[in-house]
Amino acid sequence: MKKLIFFILFSSLITSLALARSTGCKEGNCDNGYGKWVYTDKTTYEGEWVATKKHGQGTETWPNGYIYKGQFKESQWNGIGILFFPDGSTYEGEWANGFMNGEGTFTWSDGKQKKGIWKNGSFQE
Amino acid sequence: MEVSKNSFKTLSEPVKQFGGLVGIIILIFLTFFVLNNIFGEGDELVAKMKIEEERIAQERKLNKLISSLPSGVLVSFDGTDNFKLSDELYEAVCKATKLIPQRAIMGANFLNFRAHEIYTINGNKIDETFVKWDDEKNKCFAGFVVSGNNVGVDETVKVSGEALSFLSTGIDTRVYFIKNF
Repeated sequence: MKKLIFFILFSSLITSLALARSTGCKEGNCDNGYGKWVYTDKTTYEGEWVATKKHGQGTETWPNGYIYKGQFKESQWNGIGILFFPDGSTYEGEWANGFMNGEGTFTWSDGKQKKGIWKNGSFQE
Repeated sequence: MEVSKNSFKTLSEPVKQFGGLVGIIILIFLTFFVLNNIFGEGDELVAKMKIEEERIAQERKLNKLISSLPSGVLVSFDGTDNFKLSDELYEAVCKATKLIPQRAIMGANFLNFRAHEIYTINGNKIDETFVKWDDEKNKCFAGFVVSGNNVGVDETVKVSGEALSFLSTGIDTRVYFIKNF
């Protein structure tokens, strides 16, 4: 019984250590410079860092297929960028505070497009 | 009365014991009959049990199917390297899926700013999630409800859309992409 408890605790420790090693800053400099950060849910960010925040050009890839390539400011999607949706749809244009804000084009996976001004993720008619 | 009492006394011991046994059995049957009439649900209960049995059988079938799927992302559309679900599998996976992870919710919130705002201020709390198969449209729909009740905001937003991809963990399946645009 004692052996079993020891085995379970030891396995948990090894798993936690392995998980901890697979997340965090994996390459480069994630404080000030260029680096790659891997989050616990396997989301990755590769790009520029300023004062430990995502700032400048970078690419954020979510495990479920969303990919944002573009400008970041204070760790948020800000500036010009393109978001790829998992089904192949894209939005290319201006971003502010992590949302489509400004001029941009939304292209559905079937090629249909909507071009114009966006405010907080909504198209302004 | 006296005569029957005397005639009972004259019976042999095995016959008396057998009679007693029969009497007890009749008493038990009568007791259950009375109790069943008072508390029992009769046919209604049998019908409920049948439905439950069917549900369990269906669940076992779905679990078997899920354990046979490859681990990773399962999609219902073309154009990716992920495992493409057939129409039949898409329906089965939809019916077996109950969970919606945070990234799928965050993705759906890109097109619903108010839902994102409430989700942020309420501490990423989801009131309700749902995954439903629509027989008429032959599509899987998933969604969630966020409310700000826990932080004094009397507002509820429901976000829903077509569930186009799933994550198979080998143990269960989760909605991975809700297309709400």
